Amino acid sequence: MITDALANVMNPMCLALIWVGTVIGIIFGSVPGLSATMAVVLFLPMTFSLEATRGIALLVGLYMGGISGGLISAILLKIPGTPSSISTVFDGGPMAEKGEAGRALGVGILYSFIGSILGILALMFISPMLAKVCLLFGPAEYFSVAVFSLTIIAALSGKDMLNGLIAGLTGLALSMVGMAPIDTKLRYTFGNYQLLNGFDITVLLIGVFAVTDIVLAGFGRRTLSQRLEQKKYQLKGYGISMVEFIQQIPNAIISSIIGIIIGILPGIGGSTAGLLAYTAEKSRSKYPEKFGTGIIDGVIASESSNNAVIGGSLVPLLCMGIPGNTVAAVFLGGLLVHGINPGPLIFDKSGVYVYGIYFALIVASIFMLIFERAGLRIFAKLLDIPKHILLPIIMVMCCVGAYSSNSRVFDVQCVLFFAMLGLAFKCFKIPSTPLIIGFILGSMFEENLRMALQAAHGSWMIFLQRPISLGFLVVAVVFCTYTVISNLRAKKKAELEGKEFHEPEEGEL
Amino acid sequence: MTNKTRDILCSIIVIAFGAAMIYFVKDVRRVIRSDVGSRFVPTLIGWCIVATGAAKLFYSVFTGLKEENKKIVFDQDFIGGIGTVVLMVLYMIAFQPVGFVVASAAYLFLQMLLLSDNTNRRVLLFAAVAVLLPLAVDALFVFVIKMPLPVGIFGF
Repeated sequence: MITDALANVMNPMCLALIWVGTVIGIIFGSVPGLSATMAVVLFLPMTFSLEATRGIALLVGLYMGGISGGLISAILLKIPGTPSSISTVFDGGPMAEKGEAGRALGVGILYSFIGSILGILALMFISPMLAKVCLLFGPAEYFSVAVFSLTIIAALSGKDMLNGLIAGLTGLALSMVGMAPIDTKLRYTFGNYQLLNGFDITVLLIGVFAVTDIVLAGFGRRTLSQRLEQKKYQLKGYGISMVEFIQQIPNAIISSIIGIIIGILPGIGGSTAGLLAYTAEKSRSKYPEKFGTGIIDGVIASESSNNAVIGGSLVPLLCMGIPGNTVAAVFLGGLLVHGINPGPLIFDKSGVYVYGIYFALIVASIFMLIFERAGLRIFAKLLDIPKHILLPIIMVMCCVGAYSSNSRVFDVQCVLFFAMLGLAFKCFKIPSTPLIIGFILGSMFEENLRMALQAAHGSWMIFLQRPISLGFLVVAVVFCTYTVISNLRAKKKAELEGKEFHEPEEGEL
Repeated sequence: MTNKTRDILCSIIVIAFGAAMIYFVKDVRRVIRSDVGSRFVPTLIGWCIVATGAAKLFYSVFTGLKEENKKIVFDQDFIGGIGTVVLMVLYMIAFQPVGFVVASAAYLFLQMLLLSDNTNRRVLLFAAVAVLLPLAVDALFVFVIKMPLPVGIFGF
């Protein structure tokens, strides 16, 4: 069975399809607004006429390339190409500003590959066991995961916890717009049918991260050519020495494990995985104050985890037929079209295709590593385009990306609204990143809170009675307390020494 | 405006936002008895926002920022900033009725002119980029991705 699957994948036609899929996926991932989901959806009908392994191989390439491609715009333009790359911006962006764009890209690409491979290995060897863990998670556990993830806000708020909290709560508030979960009651739509479905995360990302920056460039146009002068870069290999590589092994492994776990849990996604891994690495680091200033640790944490999500998300998909995220849901459609029914019996009934998926994922990871490294010089050339030409082009691409997310002009207009919100945040010195975290986790927080309370007939004790839920809540409280205390200590110490306390604010552009 | 004034203004806006959040969800009724209802979480978040805003206001007025009460100096180019926002607004208004290609070409050209200065203003290059880029993007979406962008009154 394994030999047949390997022979099918190593077929030149199949390899060519994986190659094409990976390249197109990277392009989709790197353009803000275009996503891995869109790439898989667009090419899904094309796979219907292909033999099953080949069709799936194309989808695998698109998925792998789409997730990985997001790092290119995240580092070069400080715009996350996909929501998964949000945390790559925190250190990748400052590295590019310091003239280390090539190194940031090289490291990001290498650790995307490592994260992908670790995720695939988890999928291959421990998927049935991991799938059982997934079954232990109910609404109460998901709610506690959301609460725990929200504590990232405390770590990313920098010196002003209140401002971080305001941003996080605003993000949660924005996620409440539209139809409520469970009973579909309308909230904050003000009679506008376009708001029924709420705001799109892509639109929020584009507005807050990209368009706000373009408006700021307008305010600073006198110094635009000086501030954003061309920076040369040199790069050997992937921009990381052997010593650094060895030092970063724990970071890559821990971040990948976080990515795998988040990938397995349906409905959370790569963006949360990246943020959690980034925060975990920052808390573990001997130099947390350097995070957000442009160090490879942050890029490695983010990229290893968001790529490990790929393997993780396929665990519940293949073993139980539960798609972990939107791309996996489309992928599930592709499998069903080819007569592959995911579930506990998949290894018996369609084993050759399952192993085919494993091999296709490995091949796609290798192609991704080769293609992105080969194109690195071309990607980095983007920074050489004068900013007065590049920024308007980005603006047009952002509008196209926003429009294409739902094929409606309303989303394009929302981009401007969120840009103005981002601008207001800059004026009031409020960090933007907690806003995104709050928005991403808002629906998960509310939906699972309500489902858990319904299941427990309104008893709030359910969150404390279930061990996994209790564990996450305890960790959330401990983590939050630790962050607040260490921030206050750092502030006090700085005051005693007569210096101004400054902790870099991640996500501040 | 001083840092203190800025923070007080920010706190007031945040409190007002939280209060509005609570107010606009007050009429949402609960339909399932064991459920907390669709009003619960927005109201909870609204109160949290009000509390955070109040804490910030208290902190700004009574405790911190004494040493930071410096005047904020605005040395930014308001014509460039406001001009960029105005161009964006016009672009987004024109996106559907005028069509993607024409609206983008006009926006690109004007935005490049606005961001450039006398030393790097190359009108012919700007015009070429402004025309070719929207055409290329439109062709990509129409012929490759099969997702047409708005065509507008000009039909392209």
